[in-house]
Amino acid sequence: MALQEHEVTGKHNETDLYAQEVDFRSGNEMAAKAAAQINYHIMGYFPITPSTEIAEYLDEMKAAGEHDIVLIPADGEHGSAGICYGAATAGGRVFNATSSQGFLYMIEQLPVQSGTRFPMVLNLVTRSVSGPLDIRGDHSDLYYGLNIGWPILMAKDPQAVYDMNMIALRLAEHHDVRLPVIVAQDGFFTSHQKRRVNFFSDRKAVESFVGETPKGYTDSLDMEHPKTIGPYMNDPDYINNKLQQSEAMYRAEEVYLQLAKEYAEISGREYGLLDLYQMEDAEVAVFLLNSASETAKDVVDKLRKQGIKAGVVAPLMIRPFPKKALQEALQNVKVLLVGERADSYGGHGANMTHEVKSALQESKAATKVLSRIYGVGGKDFYADDAEHFFSLCLDVVAGKEVKAFDYFGQTEGKAEMLPQPVIKPLSKEETTGFVSVEQDEATGKLKVKVPPLRALTAKAKRIAPGHGACPGCGIFPGVETFMKGIEGDVVVLYQTGCAMVTTTGYPYSAHKVMYIHNLFQNGAATLSGALEMFLERKRRGEIAIGDDITFIMVTGDGGMDIGMGSAIGTALRNHKMIILEYDNEGYMNTGSQLSYSTPLGHMTSTSNIGKSQHGKLFHHKDTAQIMAATNIPYVFTSTEAFPQDLIKKAAKAQWYAKHDGMAYGKILIACPLNWKSPDHLGHEIVQAAVDSCFYPLYEVEHGVTTITYNPEDKNKRVAVGDWLKMMGKTKHLLKAENADLLKEFEHEVDRRWMRLKARHENEYL
Amino acid sequence: MAANAKLTKTNDLGFFEIRLESIGGLGANLAGKMLAEAGVIRLGFNGSNFSAYGSEKKGSPVKSYVRFANPETSIRDSSPIEEPHVVAVFHEALFRTQNCSSGLKEDGVLIVNTKRTPDEIREQTGLQSGTIVCVDALGISVDEKTRINTAMLGTLCRIVDFLDPDAIRSMISDTFIKKYPALVESNIRTFDRGFEEVNVKTYELTDGQHVAPFVRPEPALGYLTQPMGGTVVNPGNSILKDLSASRQGFLPSFERDVCIHCAACDQVCPDYCFVWQPQTDAKGRQFQFLQGIDYQYCKGCLKCVEACPTDALKSLREDDGYADGHKVAQIFHLV
Repeated sequence: MALQEHEVTGKHNETDLYAQEVDFRSGNEMAAKAAAQINYHIMGYFPITPSTEIAEYLDEMKAAGEHDIVLIPADGEHGSAGICYGAATAGGRVFNATSSQGFLYMIEQLPVQSGTRFPMVLNLVTRSVSGPLDIRGDHSDLYYGLNIGWPILMAKDPQAVYDMNMIALRLAEHHDVRLPVIVAQDGFFTSHQKRRVNFFSDRKAVESFVGETPKGYTDSLDMEHPKTIGPYMNDPDYINNKLQQSEAMYRAEEVYLQLAKEYAEISGREYGLLDLYQMEDAEVAVFLLNSASETAKDVVDKLRKQGIKAGVVAPLMIRPFPKKALQEALQNVKVLLVGERADSYGGHGANMTHEVKSALQESKAATKVLSRIYGVGGKDFYADDAEHFFSLCLDVVAGKEVKAFDYFGQTEGKAEMLPQPVIKPLSKEETTGFVSVEQDEATGKLKVKVPPLRALTAKAKRIAPGHGACPGCGIFPGVETFMKGIEGDVVVLYQTGCAMVTTTGYPYSAHKVMYIHNLFQNGAATLSGALEMFLERKRRGEIAIGDDITFIMVTGDGGMDIGMGSAIGTALRNHKMIILEYDNEGYMNTGSQLSYSTPLGHMTSTSNIGKSQHGKLFHHKDTAQIMAATNIPYVFTSTEAFPQDLIKKAAKAQWYAKHDGMAYGKILIACPLNWKSPDHLGHEIVQAAVDSCFYPLYEVEHGVTTITYNPEDKNKRVAVGDWLKMMGKTKHLLKAENADLLKEFEHEVDRRWMRLKARHENEYL
Repeated sequence: MAANAKLTKTNDLGFFEIRLESIGGLGANLAGKMLAEAGVIRLGFNGSNFSAYGSEKKGSPVKSYVRFANPETSIRDSSPIEEPHVVAVFHEALFRTQNCSSGLKEDGVLIVNTKRTPDEIREQTGLQSGTIVCVDALGISVDEKTRINTAMLGTLCRIVDFLDPDAIRSMISDTFIKKYPALVESNIRTFDRGFEEVNVKTYELTDGQHVAPFVRPEPALGYLTQPMGGTVVNPGNSILKDLSASRQGFLPSFERDVCIHCAACDQVCPDYCFVWQPQTDAKGRQFQFLQGIDYQYCKGCLKCVEACPTDALKSLREDDGYADGHKVAQIFHLV
């Protein structure tokens, strides 16, 4: 967006270093803008809705040469926290952004960083926590962060996101603090909502505020002063480390106020510990975090016109908790309602309620406190909801009995609307007797009989129509073609991803068979647990001997990145189950970020194309070979474009999973939306991927590799470029300026293909 | 900044509110963003813009919200727009599955991308009063080889009187000039045609009629009825959904006479639309025969047309009523 307006703020004039521009941006855009202007050294990240955009915007700016931040796509949030921690020990500035499960997944690392006292800034774009999986905004992730020893700043709107990010870095690096800091904004309500904002036109303004990275602290690159970072420390020493940390945290309040004042002088925007609205004489008030507090202000205006003395309190810092400021703000309030977008189950009110009550008890205030859980899972907070909160307060003032703690905004439900069965469960007959596998006694080889596709249309599909995938999505033909090779009963586990989200949007499910979801760090382990329970209950006679179930985990390539450890562990234990990976070369469910399976040079929303960057920077992961290296009995690759090949391999996978142990298969599937290709061409594109030898079809049975389709033998091999030209995400690779990149990619494709052929020739390779 | 920016109509909070109703892939979010940016950055209004998604997939319903306020009015509310001044429907098939005009004010404006007339739209939506604006944005964009969102922006600009068309025009130029300079002219033309080629009709409430107050929708299941743990106890119920609104103007037609029942279509179909039945052939042997297509689930990707080795499946521009008339219903083992 071209910027035309300059707004003069603070004490500075227009020609000033601190001149600002007006723009129209979201919270995520403002977090990225702040990070880019600060020009952090390192960002280690892993995509998760709704914080992902921050890394995307930064990658876009990086491609355009607008900052120097090294963006490191981690293998998961635990990995991203590790990257950030390591980078923070190494003396530079570090940035990260996450949400929800991502925050929970990294949380094991976060007290390590605060306890060993390395500053950084983490943007927490708040979101609901599973399960069931909910991607919308609430504060249930944030509340897990209350005990990790990181100061937490609250950004109620996109402007505050920018401003708080500036203050946060200084706070983290301040001599009296030296702690990593969180800036929390509301997922979607703030992160995805564009507002009128100001920012400094010149990055030098930001540089002058944040200054150089302070020197003189532990730096793991300072070779002249070797130190031991993170010793083994038990009692009686640990408590002393914690007291230091506790004191630093409390000092953060005063330091924050100093910095906020300094920032107000250059920006004209003031931030205190509390955002108080009409609190001077308020008799009834609500205490709300972030965006909802803004909505309540509109209601206060309305109530004031009616003569009601209403007010709003919103803390701008919740760690350290602004106890004293709150005691002062609330001293004359008769009734306060603390609204919380997260629960502390069983706590008779969530965390803020008790911290507010505790502050009031100390100041011996007469204020009555009500507590309401509202807006969890991203349920919108409307003005009439805020009005209801005030009316509860007024009821108390009027002497009416009001429940101290309750939920607000729930639906009772009508008995006549109880869920009714729709379709009958699949019978064994509907899925049995189509495909057969026999082992040749002499050679040990498996012989598979697959009827023509026409006959297989009589075999019941495991997924029902009515799912919400994009037009032309390759997942569903891919998975169902695989399922044609699977006979009888199945339990499926889908890891988080497109297939899961599009088939199970509540209250609907497109799965006709037994289905489990778990988050993608852990699907393989979860299904191995279900499988072992089946086997043990069968052994104990709790399940009929004749009953047989095939256990199949379905995952995207993203799930095989963050869930690689779980998948390898499950493979090494050799459970009798199948992992089926649908690979569309990216994290498509969260908006097409690069996965490790994204090939070199391919464009995604975190591997943008611009003058300083030309798509993904490193080669694609060879997941099939990684899984083969675990020495499980069966590994295969296939694709929708070769249905007989895929069905045959599915049947073999089932045979191995029943007789020997784990089977793993990868199917390449089209994502027209993010491959930027026509909806109708998915089949042809994955066929070209095979014919270019980028994606060879093969199987590894007990360590012996067989190429099941060799395009060279069939005289069908095409140039890699002939495949790449079919997709918008790779067209740039065919331009003259990217000739070297294409050559490097072709070389890698060829190297892997030659190695595979060698393995095909020699059973010991 | 245009200091004289002034809204002509506002709600209690001082906002003028617009809701765009579309499916993912038609550019409604971009249109909302451009509209709001033009208002805020070029015309000096205060404003906000955000979207509500289903599962963020192409073809799924999306809503984009634009809130305008006078420059000095602060915008604090971040909740979705429930009672807008203007609703613009980018995809008229949505009327089948969504209450697109929900909450529209008594004197509100409903803009629809359609070849139909305001009277026909009124009959389908049951809108009692207000203004209905019909524009064939799809036709314009096909002519100009552009996207419908630019045409819809033209119509929005015509209807929302405080928006200066020149501001939006320069915004469109600036947006396209960077990446697609060749498209500037055709997009400006598309915008102008969207501005000009409107069919407008206003309906007054007659005596005794009144617009029903807005009621916020509630979920079907509540805490007394939702099965424990969020489990779906009637899986396969997705068959009750109608996905036909995901199509963007094309569907496969099926001619049984030239079908060889090879099932290539069935194998590539992401949406399991092909209906098969066992039948005996001329020699008395039993085989599976393709009966037709269940258009309720067809999203119009046309993979089947690509896969079909004969002329049995062809790409067809979808006319109103074709899918209903030619649908062969899937056979499910219903309870």
